[in-house]
Amino acid sequence: MMRLAIIPLGLLALLAVAMGWLGRRIDEPPADFRFINSGDIRTLDPQSMSWNQDIRIGYAIYEGLYTLHPQTLKAIPGTAERIDISNDKTIYTFHIRRNAGWTDGRPVLARDFVFAWRRMLEHPGDYTYLLDYIKGAEAYRAAYARFLERPAELPRPDFASVGIEVLDERTLRVSLNHPVTFFPDLLAFPPYFPLHQEAMKPFEQVDPVTGHRTYDMRFMRPPHLQTNGPYRLAAWDFKRRVRLVANEHYWDRANVRSPIIDMIVVEDNKLGEFLRYEAGVVDWVADLAADIAAELLAQGRRDPSRRRQDLHIHPAFGTYFYTFNCLPRFKDGRPNPFSDPRVRRAFAMAIDRRPIIQNVTRLDEQPAYHYVPLRSFPDYPPPRGIPQDLEEARRLLAEAGYPGGKGFPRLKLTFNTGFNHGDVAQIIRRQWRDGLGVELELEGVESGEFSQRLHNVEYAVARASWYGDYDDVSTFTDKYLSTSDNNDSKWANTDYDRLCARAAREPDPAARLALLSQAEQILLEECPILPIYYYVNRSLQKPYVTGIAHSPRNLVMLKAVFAQR
Amino acid sequence: MLKTVVWRIVQFPLILAIIYLLTFALAWMAPGSPFEAGDRKIDPMAEKTLREQFHADKWYKFLGYYPYRILRYGDLGRSMRYQGFTVNEIIGQSLPVSVALGIFALSVATLAGIGVGTLAAVRRGGLFDWLSLSLAMVGISLPSFVAASLLLTLFSVHWPVFPIGRFESLADLVLPGIALSLIPMAYIARLTRVSMIDVLSNDYVRTARAKGLARWAVIWKHCLRNAFLPVLSYLGPAAAATFTGSFVVEKVFDIPGLGQHFVNGVRNRDQTLILGAVMVYSLFLMSFNLLVDIGYTVVDPRIELSKDEG
Amino acid sequence: MKDEKESDLMSSSLILHPSSLLGHALASGRLRFGGAILLLIALGCVGTLPLTLRHGNPLHYDRQNPALSRQGPQTAATAQWFGMDLLGRSLLGRCMLGGAISLGVGLGAAIISVVLGLGVGLLAGYRGGWVDGLLMRMVDVLYGLPYLLLVILLKIALERPLGKVMPPMASNLVVLFLAIGLVSWLTMARVVRGQVLSLRNQPFVEAARAAGLTEWRIFFGHLLPNLIGPVIVYATLIVPQAILQESFLSFLGIGVQQPLPTWGSLAAEGLMPALNTVNSHWWLLVYPCVLLAVTLLSLNFMGDGLRDVFDPRRESAKI
Repeated sequence: MMRLAIIPLGLLALLAVAMGWLGRRIDEPPADFRFINSGDIRTLDPQSMSWNQDIRIGYAIYEGLYTLHPQTLKAIPGTAERIDISNDKTIYTFHIRRNAGWTDGRPVLARDFVFAWRRMLEHPGDYTYLLDYIKGAEAYRAAYARFLERPAELPRPDFASVGIEVLDERTLRVSLNHPVTFFPDLLAFPPYFPLHQEAMKPFEQVDPVTGHRTYDMRFMRPPHLQTNGPYRLAAWDFKRRVRLVANEHYWDRANVRSPIIDMIVVEDNKLGEFLRYEAGVVDWVADLAADIAAELLAQGRRDPSRRRQDLHIHPAFGTYFYTFNCLPRFKDGRPNPFSDPRVRRAFAMAIDRRPIIQNVTRLDEQPAYHYVPLRSFPDYPPPRGIPQDLEEARRLLAEAGYPGGKGFPRLKLTFNTGFNHGDVAQIIRRQWRDGLGVELELEGVESGEFSQRLHNVEYAVARASWYGDYDDVSTFTDKYLSTSDNNDSKWANTDYDRLCARAAREPDPAARLALLSQAEQILLEECPILPIYYYVNRSLQKPYVTGIAHSPRNLVMLKAVFAQR
Repeated sequence: MLKTVVWRIVQFPLILAIIYLLTFALAWMAPGSPFEAGDRKIDPMAEKTLREQFHADKWYKFLGYYPYRILRYGDLGRSMRYQGFTVNEIIGQSLPVSVALGIFALSVATLAGIGVGTLAAVRRGGLFDWLSLSLAMVGISLPSFVAASLLLTLFSVHWPVFPIGRFESLADLVLPGIALSLIPMAYIARLTRVSMIDVLSNDYVRTARAKGLARWAVIWKHCLRNAFLPVLSYLGPAAAATFTGSFVVEKVFDIPGLGQHFVNGVRNRDQTLILGAVMVYSLFLMSFNLLVDIGYTVVDPRIELSKDEG
Repeated sequence: MKDEKESDLMSSSLILHPSSLLGHALASGRLRFGGAILLLIALGCVGTLPLTLRHGNPLHYDRQNPALSRQGPQTAATAQWFGMDLLGRSLLGRCMLGGAISLGVGLGAAIISVVLGLGVGLLAGYRGGWVDGLLMRMVDVLYGLPYLLLVILLKIALERPLGKVMPPMASNLVVLFLAIGLVSWLTMARVVRGQVLSLRNQPFVEAARAAGLTEWRIFFGHLLPNLIGPVIVYATLIVPQAILQESFLSFLGIGVQQPLPTWGSLAAEGLMPALNTVNSHWWLLVYPCVLLAVTLLSLNFMGDGLRDVFDPRRESAKI
């Protein structure tokens, strides 16, 4: 029997050795700044970046022709030192800095941008539509897609038809369809980042029939990845951390405050993030869990002496809302009462947002009566919001044929599980029941299935949200164009489309914003969506950290961040 | 006996193949796409291109591509969600962590479980029987996420005995290891108690006592070995499950192990990762079951005869 | 092979006549204790259903009162004894209904496991040969499949058809215990098979055959009664397992549909509010967990007690 006791003891000994080996760290210099970025990054390919945490790292390792000012987050010249804009504002000529270099030393050239943008058109990603402002881009994209389907019958579209020209090694000219006031901001955004073609070449796969080039994703791993921004990707330990080291060949190297930055991965563990921050393992938690932030805020209110100065809660550039299915019939053929705007408006006017903000989210969010977050665009004249008026709501519902809620089918309120959407839904369901006499069932659906249901419009009313991507109202209003892929309520209004189209072509900024405001007015009257509250950004930041902009857009230019311990 | 072992090993590939196909079918049928990014709808062209890149646009293309690569190169493919990493890399990095933690947890569970179970059997019906067993069964009386979270909060926050968030030395293993050991400990304690009681009632035990052997010597020399058998058979699947990681423990203690990939892989509809993880788990399961069966004959060479003695 | 060893421990309890079972059952201390507690809790949860399900009653499981959000336990009103949750609902009421639903899910899953496990195990054990081999390999394969994937898919597959024949809340519960039951029957099948295999070759079966009894008589008269023991024991042990499975599913967000509570979902919801280091709303976690722990322990003790009952030989195991 003694023999058998050797087994567990031997295993424990083996374990001690294994742990020692596992935990070995090659001597590396400590980071100047460490932060938690709400989970691991999914991709560092600019073409497919869409999650905010990816975009944060993207801004650190890449740089577009424009970049964002670290404090104001307004577009300023980046890799391009001089930009000439034509009088009609449709032609941009970029002069790239001589001292802008990739992480391997090669200078940044105009063809790097052309290579990347062409790839965006030929190999579309989530944000490819942002290139449609360029003359000929949309047509080229469609033609190329058709070519890929039938390469034998159709000719290869000519890239020269797109309004992107290389004038010389460091000069790039872009022609737009019409003036776009926020084009500089777009140029700073990941879809417009450049790519290092030679570094990606070893991972290239060329389709023998079509000549279509795709790239094995390994190119985005260190040491293969070459970037042109303030940092280079030094290490990417899956699910543990990402290390960024200052790019020696970056043109503004002198202003990169923290030479080494570590992004620690804590995935889906709210308490863990907070505990690490308290223990001093990290200097900044970029997206603090809402529950913890709410508790900290409540604690500070109850006892002002314990108010946390390092807790930052600011309005965010996004709205939490419910979306209605606006199609005349559901997928199974039953008639959809929400296709009637009066019904939608009744539901929208019947709710009281305060219990949600006071009891569920508790972060002092602004209740939302508009779709575009109020005051996020200083010059934008807000339309009339959706009023909160239970009497009027009841009247509308009766007018639509459901007096007191009688005859209204028992539909489902769909949301994705895992956050507090269920709690919000329970409150709203109660309010619709008590206020309108309408009984809805709750349907909490797992995230993967929820996305699909939402995008395929297989719901009656569902929870949704939208964050703005760039510094313009159209980042919100474009979503509800009848042609937009992101219009998951399938609401279609020709006046809305017309106003947005006119606004897109309007050169005068003030007139443009007025048109968009009229468009939003239509949206708020027809209520394809029910805005509930505006998001807030929550972060914990050690007092010795400087350089982090507290902007609604929740972006940070890591090059300006400095931890002065 | 060698013949049976070989025969069992020969069956591995067939069973693995069936598991692979069934898992693939289940993953394929699940609604949702690994490439979708939440609120934003993915461009249909983009999704199509991605699917083609991953050989996931048609089921027969998937089955035509991946199994061959697995058999030929041992290459499980690229993760659909974490596109920069291959499944081999992901599993290669996380499996050792889970195994290390699993070994620790199982050792603790076995030692503690057998100890408590034996004592409870010997002092049957007494207060110790009830109390110790209740304690040992905490693992199956509370949801694992509660037990693990309580351990973390008590011993890392309130009384900062253990550090958080590192996975570098043996000390970092203790708390998650204990959390992971709770469930197997409960089962082992119960199994030991039951089979120990059974063994203790055997005639040869009475004979040994009558001959004047001390109580504990009898237990140690004669009973434990036989009582250990059901525990051994439980250890097979228990080891497979523990070594491949527990989602809850890994989530609560932030451990970069394999367990999270089972759950997250399903949530993310990451078909290549799911299949890779399931293959690893099945391989472990079958190997451990085989080892257990071999272990039976080691623990008691008279295993065939013991049936009639009882 | 190995599970036969486990069930061998049961097989020695061969010739127990059902009427003496009750006597033995009541004699086992474990069984009495566990059973008593379980009965108490079950009666409490089911008995309060008229209160927890009636709209307007302060104990109603979905009676939201925003002013009382997150209030701690008070002795003022019965409904406030356990405190209130974040929507101002009585935690006591939700725990009571949660218990009823948890036990219901456990029971449902156990029934499905018994039906399936008994069926498959009998078939495999009695027929033997290739049927046995095939069924057991199937069980092996099912053991190897990712449990979570199975549950998610089962839920998705069953939700629509069931939603057509019964109200949504009921269909959600049925889907839940179907999904859990359909993955819990495997051990039962193994155990039953082992039991049947060892029983088949027992002398008394040979004797019965020699005496000319038909297969059916042997089956119902001798095999089935001796299967009741292991089946009941394992069924009793499946109930707590199923309750824990549901709590795990709730933790992942795919458990019971809100606003219906189960102890598991209450524990999952209460985790963050209770264990965050800033401000702990401990009651949201403590009460559901205490109820869970006591009930599950009782069930497990009952199962152990039943095992003792079916092997009276162990009474003599004292040295």
